[in-house]
Amino acid sequence: MNTSVAIDVRDLSRHFGKFIAVDKVNFSIDYGEIFGFLGPNGAGKSTTIRMLCGILASTGGTASVGGFDVNRQSEQIKEVIGYVSQRFSLYNDLTAQENLEFYGRIYGITGKDLDDRIEEILRLTGLQQWRHQLAGILSGGMKQKLALANAILHKPKVLFLDEPTAGIDPLSRRALWELLYQIADSGVALFVTTHYMEEAERCSHIAFISQGRILKIGRPNDLKDEMTGTLLEVECSPLMKASSLFQKIAGVKGVTAFGTTLHLNTSDMERVKAEVLNAARSGGIDIKAMRPIGASLEDVFASLSDKQDEKH
Amino acid sequence: MKNIKAIAKKEFLHIIRDRRTLAMIVLMPLVQLLIYGYAISTDIKHLALYVYDEDQKYLSRRLIDTFEQSAYFDIKKRVSSADELYQALDRGKAKAGVLIPPNFTKDLLAGRGPKLQLLIDGTDSNPATVALNTSQAIVTAFMQREGLVPVSVAPIDFRPRLWYNPDLKSSFFMVPGLIGLLLQMLIPMITASAIVREKERGNIEQLIVTPIKPFELILGKIIPYIAIGLLITVTIVVTSGILFHIPVRGNPFTLLVLTFLFIVVCLGIGLLASTLADNQQQATQVIMFFMPPSILLSGFIFPRETMPLFVYYLSYAIPLTYFVKIIRGIILKGLGFAGLWDQILPLVLMAAIVLILSVKRFHKRLA
Repeated sequence: MNTSVAIDVRDLSRHFGKFIAVDKVNFSIDYGEIFGFLGPNGAGKSTTIRMLCGILASTGGTASVGGFDVNRQSEQIKEVIGYVSQRFSLYNDLTAQENLEFYGRIYGITGKDLDDRIEEILRLTGLQQWRHQLAGILSGGMKQKLALANAILHKPKVLFLDEPTAGIDPLSRRALWELLYQIADSGVALFVTTHYMEEAERCSHIAFISQGRILKIGRPNDLKDEMTGTLLEVECSPLMKASSLFQKIAGVKGVTAFGTTLHLNTSDMERVKAEVLNAARSGGIDIKAMRPIGASLEDVFASLSDKQDEKH
Repeated sequence: MKNIKAIAKKEFLHIIRDRRTLAMIVLMPLVQLLIYGYAISTDIKHLALYVYDEDQKYLSRRLIDTFEQSAYFDIKKRVSSADELYQALDRGKAKAGVLIPPNFTKDLLAGRGPKLQLLIDGTDSNPATVALNTSQAIVTAFMQREGLVPVSVAPIDFRPRLWYNPDLKSSFFMVPGLIGLLLQMLIPMITASAIVREKERGNIEQLIVTPIKPFELILGKIIPYIAIGLLITVTIVVTSGILFHIPVRGNPFTLLVLTFLFIVVCLGIGLLASTLADNQQQATQVIMFFMPPSILLSGFIFPRETMPLFVYYLSYAIPLTYFVKIIRGIILKGLGFAGLWDQILPLVLMAAIVLILSVKRFHKRLA
């Protein structure tokens, strides 16, 4: 087995009765990599994380985390992973330092080792001056930094972050990502779920999951490149009327609104251009500009949802 | 072991930081001790007595003095008409009234057997009974002292003696039982809150991905509360020794060991309640549901022997029933393990049941 692989997932599934929460997903993550896990609420992100953390048994397939099997070696897995939950789960009535001391001891770090490690972590996260503040009164950004500090205290090999930046301001979010890069550089594999496309851009690999299935997986740039020549940006008004008209044009797989423009997803660029002009003329739509564009991750995501809709 | 210590330490921090719980733990025992020790007294003494003395001679005065000297009656007023005395009884100003007829002294000395009337307010049966019995004793003692009746030699030398609480002080009866009541009130509540709090505030989400095991978590969390329970016990025993002169006649070590056993039962109840509840409020409600029967049926205030048979059997299911007997046995009677097995075994059984049940349910909730 390749020792550079941190997480290896093969046909991993989880059924709850008849409901299939996760359906035969496959991916692998190397150490030092930041893996973004994207998908709508209820897509199976949390279920996947719970299985990989060894707190929920899978009902099919296999997965290894840090070299341990998730179903048979969940105790060992808990030693080598760190976890930052979506909701702040540390103790509000304990100070930053007391929280770190508590979790450090739980992971078997004691005495001077613990003191040294806490110093190191506080310095890394810039939380030194807040160390004696109760965690409950820290700002949202500080709380997430503390949660992160807490999760890497025991030097995990794999770090799971469940929507780590939900509800914190853009500046704090950026600071947090700086930290994530530093952690990844030290050889830790990061598994991040997120709703934010700009965050997905920062990942080394991303996977889109919907209804328990992985729809797409790859490097952000590769995914965007795949869509080159398939996106037509139309600046027009009134926007929503135009959107419903363009949707009916044969060869248009999807229409997404961005500001004052519409992005049309198509495999037949030239013909669709002509059709759009026709439709606009007969429908009273004012077209200001029209050009093929490169895709953003949001476009990739939109096109994936379009494909899903087609299937149903 | 290290994990348990880390959790216990953290739990102590929670307790210190949570001012309300801390106040409850410190103040409630003391306030209750004062209430049950001083205010709630079942001792019936100093009943308000009104006197209507139509005789006003030396024997009538001596009789009134005899009443006054007993601790059971206080002469509140000497009235000058029977109506005044009746009104005082009607209004509740007097609990009892003595009516001494004219020529009481003269008739008594002449052996004509004068009538002496005592009226008692029978609304509250307890003081009325006491007034009835003690007034008879007082009058008999008066007659013997004045040499009005011959002191007869009884065929049986009957000598009743009160053991354990010779002065019949109600604080002796109440305060040891109060320790049990407080433990059963506080311990399940604070344990349940402590456990449910982790769930309510989402802390469990972080704990669950650490290598910690459920039993370590439970043990670590309950150790501080065992310490608190023992501390409450020691505080009350010492304070009540100072304030009410209640001696500990038995072995203090036995007291602590059996209190520990009772605390374990209480903790188990708290744990069980925490597995049934989703938030602290629910947990408190579950526990509060069991409070009134514990207070009323355990024999803490009312003797169980006078209860209807069904209720009497029901009270066997209340842990406090056994502990009240244990703690009174140790403190007042000086009993040791040997004299308390009947109470210890059911408690051990209860501890085992609640702990097994709650650990089982706890595992399910974590998964």
